[in-house]
Amino acid sequence: MDKKELITELKTIVTPYAQDPEALDNIGEDTDFIKDLKINSANLVDVVLDVEEKFGIEIDNDSMAKMLSVKAAIEIIEDKLAGVDRK
Amino acid sequence: MIGNDLVDLRQAATESNWQRKGYLGKIYTPEEQELILNAAEPSVMVWLLWTMKEAGYKVLNRITAIRSYSPQSFICCGLITNGSQATAVVCHDERRIYIKSEISSQMIHSTATLNKQDLEELTLSYMDNSADYRADFNRSSRGYFLTKTSSGLPLIIHGPTGRKLIASVSHHGKYAAIVYSDSLLSAG
Repeated sequence: MDKKELITELKTIVTPYAQDPEALDNIGEDTDFIKDLKINSANLVDVVLDVEEKFGIEIDNDSMAKMLSVKAAIEIIEDKLAGVDRK
Repeated sequence: MIGNDLVDLRQAATESNWQRKGYLGKIYTPEEQELILNAAEPSVMVWLLWTMKEAGYKVLNRITAIRSYSPQSFICCGLITNGSQATAVVCHDERRIYIKSEISSQMIHSTATLNKQDLEELTLSYMDNSADYRADFNRSSRGYFLTKTSSGLPLIIHGPTGRKLIASVSHHGKYAAIVYSDSLLSAG
């Protein structure tokens, strides 16, 4: 799956939680889940759980700590799918 | 340093399903999960502990400027609840952050400070969460004006003395809360 497809998948996942429709329309690698999409921090857990379910991966606490943007989420998904444990 | 967090319980009930598989395990330690599951009102405990962790994170974030999303690493210890009041210590690595909370049937609000005594000198204002809550605050708080630092952090200016005070603001659903202390001066 290339980056564009990953962003499309992520957009579907974050849509129910995003509170800024304009930022959601313009979602890209540099989009910040909290600052741009205005996702409530209690809903960021839902994003993490939805990503786990969608991609069949497990996001550990260290990875979750970094998952604040589309870019970070893509890196985490790619690494987990490739079986890489990036420290 | 100061941080706060507010949860509108009715809003949270529609926005978040904490009973979802895996949810509690991502946020809470096993001990905290036990507190939740044994609580008379588990959903109140979910959001009480959540606001404590978030308020603690906000204190740390304002000191270090590091953003991260690791609620499980902010561990609530020594929780004491007494009717509508609660206190706890949030531990993160070596740091201890002191917490004082208020619980009502509508909302839960927690304030966090790095120094325990600062918790006793706080001024806390609840407002309706509207687009104008800053203006509402400035109208109702004689001499205290809510503004922002150059980096966008909440700042209170005491008009008569010109003193700048560190403030923290949280809003959710129908409510907003503004906390500051006359003893916590801002450099910004």
